[in-house]
Amino acid sequence: MQPVVQFRNVNKLYGAMPAVADLDLSIAPGQFVTLLGPSGCGKSTTLRMLGGFELPTSGEILLDGRDITRLPPNKRNVNIVFQDYALFPHLTVGRNVAFGLELKGLRSDAIHRRTMELLALVQLGDFADRLPSQLSGGQRQRVALMRALAPDPDVLLLDEPLSALDAKLREQMQIELKSIQQRTGKTFLFVTHDQEEALTMSDVVVVMNGGRIEQMGDPHTLYASPRSRFVANFIGQSNLFEAEVMGLEGEMAVLSWNGHTVRARRNGNSPATGARVAFIVRPESIYCLGQTPGDAFAVPGRIGQRIFKGSHTTLEIELPGRQNVTAQLDPQALARLDGDDVLVGWRWENAVVLAD
Amino acid sequence: MNSFASRYFTDLPKTALSASYWIFVIYLLLPLSLMMAMSFKEASFIAFPIQSWTLDWYAKVLQDQQFLGAVGYSIFIAVATTVIALIIGVWIALLVAAEGIWGRAMIFALACLPAVVPGLINAISMRIFIRVLDIPTGTGAIILGHTVHAVPFVVVMVLTRLRSMPHSLTDAARDLGADNFVAFLRVTVPYLAPALAGSAIFCVLSSIDDFVRTFFLGGYQPTLPMLIFAKVQGGMSPEINAMATIVLIVTAAVGLYAEHFTRRSKA
Repeated sequence: MQPVVQFRNVNKLYGAMPAVADLDLSIAPGQFVTLLGPSGCGKSTTLRMLGGFELPTSGEILLDGRDITRLPPNKRNVNIVFQDYALFPHLTVGRNVAFGLELKGLRSDAIHRRTMELLALVQLGDFADRLPSQLSGGQRQRVALMRALAPDPDVLLLDEPLSALDAKLREQMQIELKSIQQRTGKTFLFVTHDQEEALTMSDVVVVMNGGRIEQMGDPHTLYASPRSRFVANFIGQSNLFEAEVMGLEGEMAVLSWNGHTVRARRNGNSPATGARVAFIVRPESIYCLGQTPGDAFAVPGRIGQRIFKGSHTTLEIELPGRQNVTAQLDPQALARLDGDDVLVGWRWENAVVLAD
Repeated sequence: MNSFASRYFTDLPKTALSASYWIFVIYLLLPLSLMMAMSFKEASFIAFPIQSWTLDWYAKVLQDQQFLGAVGYSIFIAVATTVIALIIGVWIALLVAAEGIWGRAMIFALACLPAVVPGLINAISMRIFIRVLDIPTGTGAIILGHTVHAVPFVVVMVLTRLRSMPHSLTDAARDLGADNFVAFLRVTVPYLAPALAGSAIFCVLSSIDDFVRTFFLGGYQPTLPMLIFAKVQGGMSPEINAMATIVLIVTAAVGLYAEHFTRRSKA
C-alpha cells in the first residue's frame, strides 16, 4: 500500500542548530502514528513542516505521492488540532466547525448537514450556537477535533492536544480519540511527550531524540525490545546493567556481570566477545524470592525501601557492588517474602541487550 | 465617642485622599456647570444672578445654519480622518507585531512620535510641509494633520490587542484553507474589533476637538472649534454657551459609551 505521508531525508536547521536531521518516515493510511520525545526533540517541527508552517531546509515531503514541501498551509489537505485548540472566539461552535467547509466553497445546506453530523459524533449537537468561551476544556477539545476533521483531510495532525486537560479527562479523551480514529478510518499523526498517551493510542510510535528517530515500532515492541538507552528510559522504567560479552548463542547473549554469568536476549545486536554492553530489565520482570530457586539465576540483595502503590509495591533493592535495582511486586509475591534479605533474578528473555 | 474619634483618626489618610478627590471633582465640574447654567439665562450678557431661564439660545443655535454647517464639516473631517488613521494604524501595528521585520522598534517609535510632539509645533511644521508640497490649505490638509495625530493612538491600542492574540488563531485559519488575506479579514479583524471600535471613537473625538492643527491647516470653511473661537472673538453670548453645552454632552456621552464598550469586550 502506498504510504499517505513520506518524509524523504528532511532536514530543518534553525540557524546552525538542527531541529530535525535526516528524517525518513513513511506513514501508512489509516494508522494512528505518534511522534514521541522530550521537548526540543523535533517532533513539533516535524508536524509543523507537514502542516506547512515550517519550510524544511532540505529534503522533501510527499502527501499521497505528491510533493507538497513548498505548498502553503491552505493548499495542502492536512489539518491540525492545535495545542491551545485555537478556536475562533468570535464564532459559534457550529461556525467554527464550518469554517473549513465554507472555504472549500460547499453549499450552505451541505455545510450545515456535515457540521451537525460531526458535532453529533462527539455529543455536542446541542452546543452549535454557543461560543467557545461557554464550553469546558474537554468540549473545546472535541470542537477543535471536529473542526479539523470537517474538511476531510488526508492526515489529521494533533499537536499535544491533551496537555491542557486534567489527568482524568485526559484518560477519557485518549479513549475517545482512538475510537474516533477507528470510526473515521483517518490517518492520525499525534505529537506528545507523554509516553503513556503514546502507548495507549498508537498503532505505531516514533521515538525522537535530538532531531532524529531513535526507534519506531508498535507500542509493545518498543516496550519489550528498546534498542537504545534513550528509548529504554523514555518508555517505561527500567533497570540498567553493564556487562562484558562472553559469547553469543542463537538469540541469546552470554554476559559476565558483577562476577555472575547472566543470559540476555540479543535483540538483534551482535556484540563482539569481550565488548562491554548495556542491558535492561523492566521492574515487573524482576523476581524476588526468599530462597534459591533451583538452578535459576539469582543474586542476593537487601530491600532498602518499600513504596506502596496500591495495585503493586515498588521495592528498591541493594545488590552487592553498589548496584541498585527496582522491582515491582504484586501483593502475593510480596507476601511470600520473609524479611529484607532476598534473592533477586529474572528470566533471560526479559533481559534485553541495548545497542549503545 | 472614643471609638468614633479613633476611627476617623486611623482612617485619616483615606479621608484625606477622598477629600482631595472631591475637591478635584468640584474644581473640574464647577466651571463646566457655570458655563452650562449660563446657556439657560434669559439675557444676552453673561453674569450672575440668573433672573429668568430660557431655552431660546438652544433654539437659536439649532436653527443657526453656520453652526449646523460647522458641525457637519467637523463630522466629515472626523470620519475621513478615522478611516484613514485606522487603515494606516492597523497596518503599522501588524508590521510591528510581525516577527522577522527589520527595524520594528524604529517603526514603532516613529509611528508614535506625533503623539508626543507638541500640537503647535506639529501644526506649524505641517503648514510648512504642505506649502513645500504645494497642497492647498483646507479640507485635505486638515484631514492630513488630524490623521498624523490620530495614528499613534490607533497603533498603540491595536498593538496591545494584537499582542494578546494567540498565533495559533491565524495558523488555524490558514490550516483550514484561508490564504493570508482571508485569515486577516475573517479572524484577525474580528479579534481586533474592540480595539478598532475604541480607537475609532478616540479618533473621531480628538479630530472634532482639535483646534491648533485646524487653525494652521484650514481654509475659509470653519470647523466647530474654529467657529466657536470666531464667535468668542466677537464677544461672549449665551449662544456660545449653548453650543458648548451641546458639544460637551454629546462628546461625553460618546466617550463614556466607548469606555463601557471596550471594558465589556475585554471580559
